[in-house]
Amino acid sequence: MITVKNMRKSFGEHDVIKGITTTIEKGEIITIIGPSGTGKSTFLRALNMLDPPTDGVVEFEGKNLTDKKTDINEIRKKMGMVFQSFNLFAHMSVLDNLCVGQTKLLGIPRAEAEETARELLATVGLSEKADAYPDQLSGGQKQRVAIARCLSMKPDIMLFDEPTSALDPTMVGEVTAVIKRLAQSGMTMAIVTHEMEFARNVSTRILYMDEGGIYEEGPPDVIFVNPKREKTRAFIHRIKSYRYTITSEGFDFIEMMNNLILFCETNALSKAGAYKAQLIVEELANLMPKSEPADLTFSFPENQSLFTVTAEYGGEARDILANDEMEAIMVKSGTESVTHEYESGRNRLTVTWKPNQKI
Amino acid sequence: MNINKTQNGDKTVFTLSGRLDTTTAPKLQETLIPEFDTAKQIELNFSELAYVSSAGLRVLLMGEKAAKAKGASLTLVNVSDEIMEVFEMTGFAEILNVE
Ligand SMILES: Nc1ncnc2c1ncn2[C@@H]1O[C@H](COP(=O)(O)OP(=O)(O)O)[C@@H](O)[C@H]1O
Ligand SMILES: [Mg+2]
Repeated sequence: MITVKNMRKSFGEHDVIKGITTTIEKGEIITIIGPSGTGKSTFLRALNMLDPPTDGVVEFEGKNLTDKKTDINEIRKKMGMVFQSFNLFAHMSVLDNLCVGQTKLLGIPRAEAEETARELLATVGLSEKADAYPDQLSGGQKQRVAIARCLSMKPDIMLFDEPTSALDPTMVGEVTAVIKRLAQSGMTMAIVTHEMEFARNVSTRILYMDEGGIYEEGPPDVIFVNPKREKTRAFIHRIKSYRYTITSEGFDFIEMMNNLILFCETNALSKAGAYKAQLIVEELANLMPKSEPADLTFSFPENQSLFTVTAEYGGEARDILANDEMEAIMVKSGTESVTHEYESGRNRLTVTWKPNQKI
Repeated sequence: MNINKTQNGDKTVFTLSGRLDTTTAPKLQETLIPEFDTAKQIELNFSELAYVSSAGLRVLLMGEKAAKAKGASLTLVNVSDEIMEVFEMTGFAEILNVE
């Protein structure tokens, strides 16, 4: 339904989206997650040309939206968008809010528009609010009306940008329930949200955005249970993590260690825990091949139930701990697990330990 | 890491403070190893040492070997629990003379 090729978006010097290529098929429910400021809203707004991309192509139902000749207004009717703020017409009743687009933009007679409006109000559970004005509604109700209004335009796809972020926590559920029902009805959707449970339940596919693009994507059970990449993990598990990239043999060892020590202090790690983390990071830093950039990440969940150091380095498949050198002994002693994997040119060594383990 | 040298009768005492790691181990090596040319009793006071990594262990091992070769003694005192754990897991507790 939507094909995105090499989408880029910059604001002046600031490259927000550095290249997104993806497709959204009919019936898919895509949820876009990621830290604030990574360009999730920018991506959605570029999909429907509300704020066109700087470069790249967006095709919708076979039409190139980035082509000047395409009638964007026609297209936009087919792409509904729901924002964090509810954007209702304050001076119109709920019913009128739901009819105005139909009559003015689609040319549907008032009676028919009203009929559709009442049906839609029933599906979002607000039949009795037809004659109310927006400021008489709660936040959750306003958002449900906004969704119904969007649906009144009979869109082929719905784009949601944090539809529950402005709501009081007690009202999040009523809005996510409406979106879930919409999902079951087969509506194609792209949803930006911070509600992880909701994302996990509703989606057919998750896009994790970071570093100016789609950093990792996959089905919810993979992204939420066993994401492949470090930043996705950190985000999903709300893991505290310290990451350092080594770019050459002569890397700044002191900076790496001082920042790690500071990180341990900031997160109130025990003396032994901090010692062990520093030891493993130091030994791995010395052992890792450095001809290609190599990453070290120390991470743990907020409850400090398990500590993990991951070393990622390039070159041939090589387990740098498969020897009895002192560095390797240091790393391997008193651990819960040590695993080595090799995939597409990158080695990944993961060392974990529990808080009660000896250094 | 700071190294502070004092003489206590026949004993040469080095008090180390800070971290004995990849960047600081060479400094201890330069200071300690030549000392065995003259001194017969060397003590390393670890009371203010927070951290030892494998790079530090290597120098301690060199010190131990130098002591053996010259018929001198190398003793470690005031070793913290964490550093003692490192000695134990690497088998250094057996090799080094820790008081
Ligand atoms: N209209 C704009 N002008 C300048 N910078 C913008 C504009 N819109 C977004 N940005 C910047 O682009 C980045 C991504 O923003 P946004 O897409 O809103 O992120 P997200 O939705 O993931 O939190 C931010 O650094 C933001 O400041
Ligand atoms: Mg946003």
